Amino acid sequence: MKITVCIGSSCHLKGSRQVVEKLQALIAQNNLSDKIELSGTFCMSNCQKGVCVTLDGQVYSLAPDTTESFFETEVLPKF
Amino acid sequence: MNNLCADIGYRSLIKHGEQLCGDHIDVIEQEDGSQVIVLADGLGSGVKACILSTLTSKIISTMTAAGISLDECVNTIAGTLPVCSVRGVAYSTFTIIRLVNNETAEIICYDNPEVILLREGKNVEIPTTELNIGGKKILQSKIDLCENDVFIALSDGVIHAGVGMKLNFGWLRKDVIEYMEDLVDVGFTAKTLTTILTDHCNELYGGEPGDDTTVCTVKIRKREPMNLLIGPPVDRNDCNKMMSLFFSKEGKHIVCGGSTSTIAAEYLQKPIKPSLDFYDPEIPPTAEIEGVDLVTEGVITINKVLKYAQNYLEDNESYTQWSYKKDGASQIARLLFEEATDINFYVGRAINPAHQNPNLPINFNIKMQLVSELAECLKKMGKKIKVSYF
Repeated sequence: MKITVCIGSSCHLKGSRQVVEKLQALIAQNNLSDKIELSGTFCMSNCQKGVCVTLDGQVYSLAPDTTESFFETEVLPKF
Repeated sequence: MNNLCADIGYRSLIKHGEQLCGDHIDVIEQEDGSQVIVLADGLGSGVKACILSTLTSKIISTMTAAGISLDECVNTIAGTLPVCSVRGVAYSTFTIIRLVNNETAEIICYDNPEVILLREGKNVEIPTTELNIGGKKILQSKIDLCENDVFIALSDGVIHAGVGMKLNFGWLRKDVIEYMEDLVDVGFTAKTLTTILTDHCNELYGGEPGDDTTVCTVKIRKREPMNLLIGPPVDRNDCNKMMSLFFSKEGKHIVCGGSTSTIAAEYLQKPIKPSLDFYDPEIPPTAEIEGVDLVTEGVITINKVLKYAQNYLEDNESYTQWSYKKDGASQIARLLFEEATDINFYVGRAINPAHQNPNLPINFNIKMQLVSELAECLKKMGKKIKVSYF
């Protein structure tokens, strides 16, 4: 599984660093480091809906405080 | 003309308790491309010294720039400066360095500590002739320039640092030489070398300089072109034109901005590999594209670079940050402030709709302003700047 987080200007200002850090922590907590590839990307041309995150091709709009529920509802059930 | 240029950096410490500096530095460029640097040290301190040294350096720089002989300059100074009512003398001491075509240096020194030359990291005594102009003993020398030569002009506050405090007799010119010999090889800029030396003087003075202390460093270096691309062009059909102009330029290439780097990557037909390492929590991570020396985010990073540039022109204290950190802004700062001598900016004026959100602290005008302010700062650092808009 591949999760990509936008680290462009707008998403950065909306908290992509916190989103990345939370995802990194959640992946480690659930021992999924070898199953999930977390990567960054520059602008995904969807700035109004930042922080933009793609999960297997599907685009999600996250914020630092919605990251955990996203992980629980969208990521965990797939394992 | 050769491929050399001069990197000039100077800084003064004001005598403790005074508000004005009694030392004054002027750097001017003559029409023929040669540069004249004047360091004048006014008698005494405070307002009087400040006026004397400012007058002296202005007279010298303006007259030499107009091609008037040294004799006449010195005579004019002797005839113009007001006489000090306490001491009955009317002058300020001065050092003049004139760089002709970046090939030779002419140095004239009147009562200031003699200019230090470090060549290949070692002290070289500059051969001097003594002149007598209007009863004043003036030292004159002429020397051919080599790459990596470092000239250091000092006011006497430097070699008096610490007298009667940390040291009995201050540190002498030879101590300054020894101290600087260890530093020149590292590749510091003139400004940084100056900052390190004046900081050390300040420390010897215990933070309370007993005299105005001025250092001016001139580093002879090779020209180093650098190119920075930021923002997509207004007309997307201009992308190829903008990219081919940018990438055909000699020197390193920096690409700033998410959409901009996507365009660059498409042009080069190479993938972008963004990293997720937040070396500085404020600055978005950098990325890699084969064929580009540095890829960073746009406005936030450039805004930070501008802050560093403004500080560089003041006390240069943020040097301790950008000189080693790995974030995008620090990397750009090192490339632009330290490595580059000639910088070409390629600025695209497309408007990013996401930046028009009033809740965000960035907008299009700010972006354009950032670039022009940064270019202005870099000019003040002595860089040659060219900005092209698309």
